Amino acid sequence: MTVPVQREGDQIPAMALRGLVKRFDTKLAVSGVSLDVPAGSFYGLLGPNGAGKTTTLSMAVGLLRPDAGHAFLLGYDVWADPSAAKARLGVLPDGVRLFDRLTGPELLAYHGLLRGMDATTVDQRARELLDVLELGAGNRTLVVDYSAGMRKKIGLACALLHAPRLLVLDEPFEAVDPVSAARIRDILQRYVAGGGTVIFSSHVMEVVERLCSHVAILSDGVLRLHGTLGAVRGDRSLEEVFVQVVGGRVSTGSELAWL
Amino acid sequence: MAVTTAEAGPSVWPFVRLKLRMLVNGWRGRPARTALFVAGVVLAGFFAVAGYAIFAIPGVVGDERAASLLLQLGGSMLVFGWLIFPLLFFGVDESLDPSRFALLPLSRRTLIMGLFAAALTGLPALSTLAATAGMVSTVADLGGAAAAFVQFVGIVGGVLICVAVSRAVTSAFATGLRSRRSRDLAVVLFAVVAALLGPLQLALLAGAERADWPAFAAIADVLGWTPLGAPWSLGLDVVAGRLWAVPLKLLIIVVTLVGLLRWWSATLERAMLGAASNGSSRATGNAGSPTGLLLGRRLPRSRFGALVARETRYWWRETRRRASLITFSVAGLFLPVSISLSGGAAGPMAVFVGALAAVALANQFGYEGNAYAANVAAGVPGRVEVHSRAAAHAVFVLPLLLLVALVVGVVSGRPERIAGDLGLLLATYGAGLGLVLPVSVRGAYSLPESTSPFALSSGGGLAKGFLTLGVMLGTLVATVPLQILAWVLGSVWLWIGLPVGAAFGCAAYLIGSQVAGDWLDKRAPEVLVAVTAGR
Repeated sequence: MTVPVQREGDQIPAMALRGLVKRFDTKLAVSGVSLDVPAGSFYGLLGPNGAGKTTTLSMAVGLLRPDAGHAFLLGYDVWADPSAAKARLGVLPDGVRLFDRLTGPELLAYHGLLRGMDATTVDQRARELLDVLELGAGNRTLVVDYSAGMRKKIGLACALLHAPRLLVLDEPFEAVDPVSAARIRDILQRYVAGGGTVIFSSHVMEVVERLCSHVAILSDGVLRLHGTLGAVRGDRSLEEVFVQVVGGRVSTGSELAWL
Repeated sequence: MAVTTAEAGPSVWPFVRLKLRMLVNGWRGRPARTALFVAGVVLAGFFAVAGYAIFAIPGVVGDERAASLLLQLGGSMLVFGWLIFPLLFFGVDESLDPSRFALLPLSRRTLIMGLFAAALTGLPALSTLAATAGMVSTVADLGGAAAAFVQFVGIVGGVLICVAVSRAVTSAFATGLRSRRSRDLAVVLFAVVAALLGPLQLALLAGAERADWPAFAAIADVLGWTPLGAPWSLGLDVVAGRLWAVPLKLLIIVVTLVGLLRWWSATLERAMLGAASNGSSRATGNAGSPTGLLLGRRLPRSRFGALVARETRYWWRETRRRASLITFSVAGLFLPVSISLSGGAAGPMAVFVGALAAVALANQFGYEGNAYAANVAAGVPGRVEVHSRAAAHAVFVLPLLLLVALVVGVVSGRPERIAGDLGLLLATYGAGLGLVLPVSVRGAYSLPESTSPFALSSGGGLAKGFLTLGVMLGTLVATVPLQILAWVLGSVWLWIGLPVGAAFGCAAYLIGSQVAGDWLDKRAPEVLVAVTAGR
């Protein structure tokens, strides 16, 4: 641990990233991202496609080894003391398969036992989650045959099962129908109200604007802007700020006149 | 894309250029893939030269009867090979995926001709053409230039049929196998067929030893009138003076080609419409407790129990794994039995079977791709992971090894050897695991995450497959002392074989699994990156 992290009371950030760097072949995917996610916050990580959101989050949760830098979860160094950090963490990775040749209930039981929970608690919570997310506690369909939205939901259930203090969700609302999305929002909001911390990535402004207390904008592997929603947004809409920060073009009206 | 310029008339060149461009771009910054392509060129060249030499022999010796036999039978085998091999082993090169053209304003005819031309632009087709050129040489030697020209037309038609048949059949299968269930079933069926090929081949060879040549010649002549053999016998008919047969056989070739392309075109249409999702059908049973559903009654309610339960389910529910189990069962039973039936010693063969069993774990992390992320995120200790995977595999393999020892003992008429042989089997299985577990951590690679069961594994997988061979060899070497011991001790081994073999196997396994577990603790994220498809 080269970077000292304060461990007193509420001062410990739920997630602290210090100079994370990742290079793929010749492309610099993430170059020196440093970020503090305060405990109890609902943190949105915004960025266009290919900005390095997934890479950053993967390094933060211990799935992808950074070329340089440190990641601390609730004060524990992910790469020096992985088991302590991972035990307090729930992850929903994007673009990652589940063990999809299990049925939903089996998959939840697997995740629960993997986290060292006792069987009775696993059963009770798994049934409740399957019920709340409308996946069906008696559903014998293999997860591989689930629809995309159902797969997101069972993945979320797996991340929630062990009641982690920190939830890291990569694109949790992608491919989820509006009804399920509302339910997921509701669950997450209650979770944060109960003292948990959520950090999630998205490129849907409306969702972020509605849910988040804090936002960070990432593009080309660099953190462009971060802070509370109000501070980042100012008196403009989040979308305007985002497009300006990321450097997208604003239509002048003269292009594509033939359309 | 240059394809849109095809309005002027159905041109196939854009497709061919597209394919070549994709081939070249595939090499960019990937030395491994370039090396693999070079290896492919060498292999294809070897096949072409060897084939040419074989087909040219009858002409050199001037034997017309041998020529008739070899050309018609050999040619038919070639077509059959083109039909069966893509299904069983190689898959088809889907670099021009038909569904990618679905939105372009192309007539079906243009599309089929273009894809067909692109399929012809490949090493397999070229080397087949080169190999069968030996037939032209033979016919030229026997009947002069005119006959050789007719034979040349024949082999071109033959190669076209070869390519068309492989495309049409794989496309038809792939379309028929849209749903996951039927696809899973097909993979398993193919595994059974592939495993039975060995025994079949031996039976055929035995038949060939006894058969009389006139019977074969008759078969060859009949084949010559089927699409399998017709293209290859055109020149021979000229040599034999049966000029009337040539137009008839040309007609057979053309009708076959048109028929195959029509069939391909029809299945392609369905393939391009895409798979209808049918994931909503819910099979709802009575709701047992989730942990009960996962673990059954006997497994411990712990991390280890959950891992073992998931692995055993995967050996059964995941098609690649099930296929490898089936192949192993058939090969494991068949090899020693056939050896002991023909009077050989079953001992060394038993060693081979044990090593073969362990090798199935060589890429154990690659089977589920990046689903392994769940275990990394949960921070499963390396040793627990390794032990649970080996335990789940052993659940399937140990009964099979016992069965192999029993069957071999009974079939060879020496039941007193069962215990000793089982000892040897356990020793090799243990030694194999001891070697393969560390290899599986260091040499993990990604398998294609494809919807088509016939998709090729891309690039590096093949090279790492050599690791598997290394493990086999290493296992055989590691158990040589035990083999020698068994041989020297003779009848004493019958008594001490089982405990000694089991102890040897356990020791080897423990050493290997410790190493593998420690490596995994240090390298779990790297393993995850290695098994993630598309890297």
